[in-house]
Amino acid sequence: MSSKMLFYVLKRVLLALLTIWIVITVTFFVMHAVPGGPFVGEKAISKEAQAALEAKYGLDKPLMTQYVTYLRDIVTRFDFGPSLKQRGRQVVAIIADGMKTSARLGVIAALIATVTGIVLGAVAAIRRNTVLDKVIMVITTAFVSMPSFIMGTLLLIIFSVHLGLLPANGAAQGGLILPVITLSLYPMSYITRLTRSSMLDVLGQDYIRTARAKGVSRAKIIFGHAMKNSLIPVITYVGPMLAYIVTGSMVVEQIFAVPGIGRQFISSIINRDYTMIMGTTIILASLIVIMNLVSDILYKIVDPRIEFE
Amino acid sequence: MKKFAALLLAVVMTLSCAVAASAEDAKTSMNVCIASEPDTLDPALNSAVDGATMIAHLFTGLSTWAQDENGALEIIPACATELPAAVINEDGTATYTYTLVDGLKWSDGQDLTAKDFEYAWKRASSTELGADYGYMFEVVKGYPDELAVEATDDKTLVVTLNNDVSYWNELLAFPSFLPVREDVVANEAWATDPATYVSNGAYSMTKWEHNSVITLTKNDNYFLADTIKMDEINFYLSDDENNMLANYQNGDWVMIDSVPNAEIDALKAQYPDEFVVGSQMGTYYVSWNVNANILPEGCELTGEEAEKAEEEIRFAIGLLFDRNYIVTEIGKAGQQPASSFVALGMTDADGKTQFYENAGPSDEYAGYWNVSEDAYEANWESAIETLKKYYTFDEATGMFTNFPTIEYLYNTNDGHKLIGEYLQSVVSGVGITMNLVNQEWNTFLNTRKNGDYTVARNGWLADYNDPISFLDMWVSASGNNDSQFGKGEHADLKMFNMDLTPYGVDVKVENGTWAETYDAAITAVKTCGDKDARYAMMHAAEDLLMSTGAITPLYYYTDIYMVKSNVKGFFANPLGYKYFMYCTVE
Repeated sequence: MSSKMLFYVLKRVLLALLTIWIVITVTFFVMHAVPGGPFVGEKAISKEAQAALEAKYGLDKPLMTQYVTYLRDIVTRFDFGPSLKQRGRQVVAIIADGMKTSARLGVIAALIATVTGIVLGAVAAIRRNTVLDKVIMVITTAFVSMPSFIMGTLLLIIFSVHLGLLPANGAAQGGLILPVITLSLYPMSYITRLTRSSMLDVLGQDYIRTARAKGVSRAKIIFGHAMKNSLIPVITYVGPMLAYIVTGSMVVEQIFAVPGIGRQFISSIINRDYTMIMGTTIILASLIVIMNLVSDILYKIVDPRIEFE
Repeated sequence: MKKFAALLLAVVMTLSCAVAASAEDAKTSMNVCIASEPDTLDPALNSAVDGATMIAHLFTGLSTWAQDENGALEIIPACATELPAAVINEDGTATYTYTLVDGLKWSDGQDLTAKDFEYAWKRASSTELGADYGYMFEVVKGYPDELAVEATDDKTLVVTLNNDVSYWNELLAFPSFLPVREDVVANEAWATDPATYVSNGAYSMTKWEHNSVITLTKNDNYFLADTIKMDEINFYLSDDENNMLANYQNGDWVMIDSVPNAEIDALKAQYPDEFVVGSQMGTYYVSWNVNANILPEGCELTGEEAEKAEEEIRFAIGLLFDRNYIVTEIGKAGQQPASSFVALGMTDADGKTQFYENAGPSDEYAGYWNVSEDAYEANWESAIETLKKYYTFDEATGMFTNFPTIEYLYNTNDGHKLIGEYLQSVVSGVGITMNLVNQEWNTFLNTRKNGDYTVARNGWLADYNDPISFLDMWVSASGNNDSQFGKGEHADLKMFNMDLTPYGVDVKVENGTWAETYDAAITAVKTCGDKDARYAMMHAAEDLLMSTGAITPLYYYTDIYMVKSNVKGFFANPLGYKYFMYCTVE
């Protein structure tokens, strides 16, 4: 790694930390500004009990003190505190539980989406304007425009209720198959279209024509020259996509009752579970920031012409 | 070849033995889904019905809910040998002495003693724990932090109440009153992990995959283990009604506790034997903020006079709503149109008649107005006549022209929205503009509690079969007093009457404040040892409450769920807890 690149990476890491700090700060104060609280329920508890709970969790202290304590605990001990609603459980443990499932779901879906997307895109480009190309384009257009809650519900009704082939519940054996499919269809279609157009672009370049004129085999042109260069836009997409898939599968998790992090995120906000809101936000923000960073670095590796500023 | 044949024979024989053995050992098991991940399964901290259902399988108290041979529900002794009557002390307090049955054990094999009950009760009621249901111990002397409960030896528990209450035996079955062991709960995370979860009931927790499934397995240390039919229950954790239904329809789950609202009609038709409308002690109502002004601009009434007028107006508007339409066209789940705040299912002093049937001014109908379809037109007309006294009515259009614009607040939910839209359409029919405002749940609760609203959607589910659980929430200091009775300006109004002298209580107030009348009546109810007088006073309290017009009941809740027709022995109690331990799947 060149020193220039090292410097760039260092700079980006610092920027990432700054971003996360801003996210923490904004979320912390906005969250406390929203009406309601973790101990507000349909049936009210006594003022004394409320005060005892607030004291227990440090919510009786001035907001600024709470903020400083919170940051200190994260930085020095990686301690995200206890959940205020799921009493007796630590935020880190809850998030780890949810992440296990979400990450598994997300990584498999991302892998499927990337591999199938690139293959289909390349095939469509090479067989441009044939029936195969048109079929691939029509299908991917459909998948890109269909929101995941419709796709998920459709798959659920067909494969689970009517055919009874696959479970409707993410916790059951084989329960992740339908969610993985639902989650991968959109990015797969997007990558297909991305690969196709970028491949077409590359195939029209002078150096490809030169290679062809020199009699290089078709396979070598495609895999040796065209493929690598046509993947640059795909790589920029894959990084953030992974982050969004891992973190943003809330709808799919809901439809298939998958015990992932997305559902935790939503319920923590509804419950005003302050520590859980902070924990999930920080983890999700970090993931997105890291994935963006990784994809930028990959970008450079694939295309050495790109200069880091 | 011969050798091979012999070997094959041996293998087949072993295998068939194994198969036969496993068939004999076959455990009965069922998959159900009642809700998503419970916030807690600590009996003292739980405040949710789904949590209570699981806890009812994991723990057993001094008493428990059961079904008699005719299918009727009853409270029977469980950990206690019997449920004796109280001994009334000279100061009017009531002392109960319980003897524990022999051989009580925790799921880890340790002996359970009366000390465990004493510890559990003191913990559950303490201010320090801050449990949502700590107030259930309010009837016990010394609440909250000096609870008069004592284990006089390992088998005897003595508890003293401020006065005898008729629903005490039922409370003993309530989650807050279940025993926990001090060394177990010392670990704050005890109730989140099967490894540290020690219970004393029909089941022990053997698996908890968070947000996914909780598995309960029959507890061999349970003293009534012989009576438990189902060996294993898997509580799947989901709150997505469409997903629940999909799992029910494909046969994976045999019981689901809610269904998508939009599917109710179709499911009733498709599964007539499996779609159940159970009873539930609760009321869906509209609450008015008594401190919000709804008089026309330029109205000269002030103070008590203004409030008197507003009481009439609110009551009249309540009469405009067709509750039969709401339950048949919107609710669709067998709800009953309401004409009182204390819900259907609450019994009166005799333990048989419905409390609401004896409520209200008339012998001709139950409650505070005639809720039958035939009476709707008359209700409407009387309402319009009342409103005409305070607002300008345009005879040509049939509209009031100077009713101030009001806002109806509800929490974001399709069902609540539909009801809001219906109410809006009704009042707009007489010229009243009512805008709908929805808020997210937690914000909504906050707004409503703080009284930052004029009219709001509301609902209340009782925790035990006694009307006081509906009535004590309206005392001035109550945290559930969303209508703001006796708060703010309303606290100073001297306009309420309460006469409790016929019931032997020295309260006779004319033109008193809310605190002097309503609060006093509730205090009298809570300290009254005479059953008939107590119920009569509760009727008097509800009369005063309903006369304010600030509570507009719409319907009594029902509990809808689906259970496969091959599941036998299942029952639910009026609090909505489901019981699977006596189930068999045919």
